[in-house]
Amino acid sequence: MFSGLADLGQAYVGFLNPTSIALGLGGALLGIIVGILPGLSATLVIALLTTLTIKLPPSNAILVLICSYVGALYGGSRTAILLNIPGTAANAASCADGYALAQRGEAGRAIGIATSGAFTGTLFGVICLAAFTPSLAEVALSFGAYEFFWLALFGVTMSGTIVGNDPLKGWLMGALGLFVAQIGQEGLYAYDRFTFGWDELSGGFSLIPALVGAFGLAEILTTLADPAEKKLVELKDSVLPRFREVFQYWRTVLRSGVIGVLTGLLPGVGEDSGAWMSYAAAKATSKEKELFGKGSIDGLMAAETGDMASIPGHIIPCLALGIPGSAPSAVLMAAMIIHGIQPGPMMLIQHPHFVYEVVAMTSLATVTILIFGLFLVKPLLLILRIRRTVLMPVIFLLCTVGAFASASRLFDIYAMLVIGIGAFFLRRRGYQMAPFVLGLVLGPLLDKSLRRGLVLSDGSITPFFTRPISLAFAVVTIFAILLYVPAFKAAVRRVTGGAGAAARSLVRRRT
Amino acid sequence: MALSELEEFDPAHLTPEQAQALAASDLRGAVGWMVLGVAVLVASLRMDRLESQHINPYTVPGLLPALLGIAMIVLAALLGVRSWQRGGGVKNGPRMKLNAAVLRRLALVIALVLVYAVGLVGHGVPFWLASALYVSISIIVLQRPQRIEAGRSLSWRDVAFAVAVGVGSGVVITYVFQDLFLVRLP
Repeated sequence: MFSGLADLGQAYVGFLNPTSIALGLGGALLGIIVGILPGLSATLVIALLTTLTIKLPPSNAILVLICSYVGALYGGSRTAILLNIPGTAANAASCADGYALAQRGEAGRAIGIATSGAFTGTLFGVICLAAFTPSLAEVALSFGAYEFFWLALFGVTMSGTIVGNDPLKGWLMGALGLFVAQIGQEGLYAYDRFTFGWDELSGGFSLIPALVGAFGLAEILTTLADPAEKKLVELKDSVLPRFREVFQYWRTVLRSGVIGVLTGLLPGVGEDSGAWMSYAAAKATSKEKELFGKGSIDGLMAAETGDMASIPGHIIPCLALGIPGSAPSAVLMAAMIIHGIQPGPMMLIQHPHFVYEVVAMTSLATVTILIFGLFLVKPLLLILRIRRTVLMPVIFLLCTVGAFASASRLFDIYAMLVIGIGAFFLRRRGYQMAPFVLGLVLGPLLDKSLRRGLVLSDGSITPFFTRPISLAFAVVTIFAILLYVPAFKAAVRRVTGGAGAAARSLVRRRT
Repeated sequence: MALSELEEFDPAHLTPEQAQALAASDLRGAVGWMVLGVAVLVASLRMDRLESQHINPYTVPGLLPALLGIAMIVLAALLGVRSWQRGGGVKNGPRMKLNAAVLRRLALVIALVLVYAVGLVGHGVPFWLASALYVSISIIVLQRPQRIEAGRSLSWRDVAFAVAVGVGSGVVITYVFQDLFLVRLP
């Protein structure tokens, strides 16, 4: 334990130099700017910064990315408060209460609450990151091909189930992502799958161009197809963070922190779930339920703490299992691989200090958002005054560079175009991109685990269901899918409803 | 009747008309997914099983893709049945469509993006110049309808502004990526 603390201390000291601090602040600033711009997401800024920082030393490069991740989610709350449009998907739960406060002339107060909630939420998540990642990685060391097969399938299924409103479309997108990941040379025999003799396809679809297309180009098309400008609410009062309210609503802060981290642990679920679940839990337990949606401080605090706490939560499975918790953490994982650090259970053996470095980086990111929350609030909002028709073409330049730079292949630019235009039309019809992204990331792991598992069991599928951890993942995955079958869902409701009624009557009898 | 595809609607609270339009769109989608699923399954079954290399038969390259093809077929069938039940197959029912103005603007944006990323980048034109041209022309072309809508034509000042933003962004992005962070540009 003490060696762990010493490593952590060393990691903090390692970042206390002017270059790292300047890079961290720069990353957070860019993250906040992108977060403020509606539609442009944390995924996009991390993908673009991955290419910009490709020649930096790994620790500084990942620091920039983590700071931009935290910055983007924090920046998104301002747009939610001032424009009633979530800056990133994760800030949607902050819109109703934040905007209601802003309309009452308390926009500064709302931003202050968002800052204090974001700071406390991320800090809580960082503590969980430091405490649970090594132990989870230790458990994961006993995972074999069977467990990883189910873990990958579990991630894609859960993502499809929870993200968006239509699990069927979510699973279809997950299957599409898994399929696209199979295109190109496979890992066991270097056999070209679905390349039709086209050499460029042998390398497959890389994650970063795909993400830049799905989250960058698709958003540019959405914005420019209907470039209406919305009016900002004026900011009159002080934007200083409100830590008094953190103490006043400490139950909400703690509950949302726990919910944020737990939703973060679920693969592919996304930060918005952390925010919505925290918001719903706060509403269910609050004394001022009627104020929710009409300017409730409790609600805003819950949403902002929940989404920010899920960031370190998402990084935990990314580091310990090599399974990203959300689309932005998938890019973060890709960036780690580019820089020669393979996340997963073996990471603690190959790069034992890296976990502590990530903890230090995330803590620094938390401090940077506090700095930008204290200063630079008003100047940063000027970015919202730039016309979309001016900004979006410039963003597309960055998307082109971002798609090209990681491998210097023109093919990646074309892949970005195809995926971006496809994503635009699919999104219009209610298909979500997060399950697709997770499928793309987990496709190679699923393929390798399935085939390895079958070789080890000599063709028998029994071990996929008999090993305890495999069985647990299999049950949850199959249960999540079966819940879509109306007859099964009705039966589950009957059982849970019956059990609930029995428990309630038991409690009543006792009291 | 045509409903705007860009119209914001909450999927949890659809009007009957919106629900039917979405079902019709999903039915077409289900056919597309089914075709893709069958194509993936057939291609996976016809994939080389590398028997000449005497590989373990459980590790044939087409195994997972074939399973994914089957999954897509099953999910597409479920989507198809669901949209049929929701009235997606009704003739002359409500449909989701992009309105003409949005469609025109979208076609224009896609054309600009393709000309830049496929035609200009990576074919000998310096990156900063290609980018400056793309950004300037995009701003001018996209702002013109907005200006006309506001009752005034595009002035020389607007054009000069667009060119300044185009050249500025092309040069700055080239400098930051190529010279400052040593990233290769197309």
